[in-house]
Amino acid sequence: MTALNILLVLSAGLFLAGLFGVAARRTLLMQLISLEVMLAGPALGFIAAGAHHGSIEGSAMFILVLGLAAAEVALGLAIYLHMRRATGGDSDAATRLRG
Amino acid sequence: MLAYLLLLVPLPPLGGFLLLALDPYRLDRRPVLALSLAAGIAPLVLFLPLAIAYFTGAVGDMIAPAFTLNFGQYEVALAMQLDPLSAIGASTVTVVASCVMIYAADYMSGARVADLRRFFALMNLFQAGMLSMVLAADSIVFFLGWELMGLCSFFLISYNMTSPRAFAAGQKAFVMTRIADAALLAGLLLLFLEATSVRMDELIPAGLAAEESRAAIIAVLLLVGALGKSAQLPFQTWLPTAMAGPTPVSALLHSATMVAAGAVLLARFAPLIEATPGVAAATAIAGVATALFGALCAIAQTDVKRLLAYSSISQIGYMLLAVGMGAPGVAMAHFVIHAFFKSLLFMAAGVLSHAGGGSTAIEKLRGTAYVAPISFATYTVGAAALAGFPILSAGWWSKEAILGAAVEAGPFGQFLWLVALGGAALTGVYAYRPVLCALRKPLHDAPKGHESWLAVAPLIFLAIMSVLGGYLVEPIIHEMGGHAPHAGLGIEVMGALAAITGLIGSVAVTFIPSWNARIKRARRLRAGMQMDAIYYAFLVRPYRRIVRLLSGRDGRLGKHIGEGPEAQEGGMGDPVGTATVVFGLWLARVVTAPFMPDRFDTVIMRGAREAQRAGLWTRRLQSGRLRDYALGFALGLGVLVILGWGMTWG
Repeated sequence: MTALNILLVLSAGLFLAGLFGVAARRTLLMQLISLEVMLAGPALGFIAAGAHHGSIEGSAMFILVLGLAAAEVALGLAIYLHMRRATGGDSDAATRLRG
Repeated sequence: MLAYLLLLVPLPPLGGFLLLALDPYRLDRRPVLALSLAAGIAPLVLFLPLAIAYFTGAVGDMIAPAFTLNFGQYEVALAMQLDPLSAIGASTVTVVASCVMIYAADYMSGARVADLRRFFALMNLFQAGMLSMVLAADSIVFFLGWELMGLCSFFLISYNMTSPRAFAAGQKAFVMTRIADAALLAGLLLLFLEATSVRMDELIPAGLAAEESRAAIIAVLLLVGALGKSAQLPFQTWLPTAMAGPTPVSALLHSATMVAAGAVLLARFAPLIEATPGVAAATAIAGVATALFGALCAIAQTDVKRLLAYSSISQIGYMLLAVGMGAPGVAMAHFVIHAFFKSLLFMAAGVLSHAGGGSTAIEKLRGTAYVAPISFATYTVGAAALAGFPILSAGWWSKEAILGAAVEAGPFGQFLWLVALGGAALTGVYAYRPVLCALRKPLHDAPKGHESWLAVAPLIFLAIMSVLGGYLVEPIIHEMGGHAPHAGLGIEVMGALAAITGLIGSVAVTFIPSWNARIKRARRLRAGMQMDAIYYAFLVRPYRRIVRLLSGRDGRLGKHIGEGPEAQEGGMGDPVGTATVVFGLWLARVVTAPFMPDRFDTVIMRGAREAQRAGLWTRRLQSGRLRDYALGFALGLGVLVILGWGMTWG
């Protein structure tokens, strides 16, 4: 088993762990955190692949993912705050599209 | 222009009917009487000048067209005409009907206003029907008048609506005449097809020109129509029971209208009857048989109205005999005379039975000669005319003419003459029975009754006509284009002897106790040889059984059509109509049952139901929960990854 393979398995594990968190948790905040874990998995994969091939694209993609994560957290926290006031932060309570 | 006066003749009674029947306002007794009398007498006032002008030769034959319609080669031209037959017929009808109406105004005075109004409305309609039939110049107006009379006779016979017997009598009259009317209608329509026109003056030549077998069929159908309307054998059963109607109805029904309509029909189409010797012979035989049968039954009657009913049957038999012997003019002469004396007899019998306590039994007339002498005298004159009292009475002249015509018609006619002579003698026997009974000393003294002038005036007039009418016989025969038969002195003496024998027989039957008792025992004859019962057993009952089978209680149709009021009255319905419904239901069952339920439809409907269920199931996916969607994304992603992985296998 090469180092790359270990890292790729780790990244897949991170993604799946995050996915489990998103799917299993009802608390919106914990789902946001799980989402961050999910993002970390592919990000790790990009870096590992970039390092393996000696290419800069992997790190570039990580920067993009980092930017995406930052934007997601900004929006997500805003939505979380709003929903926390409305429903108490339970994502299952917000089943309707409007409000 | 004068011809159009003809169209006006039946209109006043028709207007009287419309006003009395349809006017929504309440009318009192006097307006009802005035209106119906005016409407009833107006035809006489209108027609009498025309008739006098016609008989004196001032005006000739006329036709007043009322309405014409052309369909290709067929022409439907409604019209009224004035010819010898219609002039004689209409004069008689107007005169007799006027007398009856005046009499009825007095006779019916005890009735409630509503009944009175119904009665007179129908009487007026009846008159309109007979007048339009007599004056008709085409088969359509003729048939219309004919049927109108049938309808009115039904309503008038069952005038007494509280009596089930009266209603049954009306029903019987209606059904019996209807059977014959169907034959008449068929005959007229066949004639129409031959002639392509409905005018009488084209129908008769066309009928004569028709192929022999078809001409015979037409003649037979016309004869059957006449037999039914005139209550001749074998249709005679409706007439005696028709006595359930009030006396004026009987007087009108039996004299100039309804019953005599058959004779008018045969006189009208006499050329067609004469053209087929077989049918002419059948007419004569039916006539003479009915004459004898009616006379025999009349002798056994104990009710004066039923006696007169059988006498009508018998007398019209004589008219048929004359037509069958090729002498329609003689038949019309007897029609006129008979109309006078028969209406007189009925009306006088009505007054006498009132004087005798309201019953129409002959026994109850005893002594009424002293209570109502004028009516009794007129009745006697009428009875003499009926019996053909030699020389003095009008009936003698017309009956002699009929007998003479039979003698002149050869050996076959002479045989019929012999039978008719026997009938004439029997006529004498029954004609005088009520007279002699009324003459007997009353069992207890009754006060001399008051005879209303309104009732007696028509009686006196008709009595005069029943005596002087003898002078009319020969002119009528000449007018109709025939010749008065001169059968020789011997034959006339025989006729006179028959009449005298009748008178003697009548005296014997009334005053010899054993003979009188024999008549009382003649139940079978009194019931008209029980032909009613025979018809009931062999025609009515099987018919009803078929009806019940088709519509009735065994439930074959109970679900579908047997739920109306008819079913509740015992499942009587119209078997022909029911048969078609049964057939329709059977057809529906056979044709559509294999497609019930419709397989294609079932499949399609199941598909629709499944789609609906699938929709319901799919809807559950859309829970709106974030976690479910995330799982969905992930599964989708997994599938995509596996797919991509599989594709790279190469």
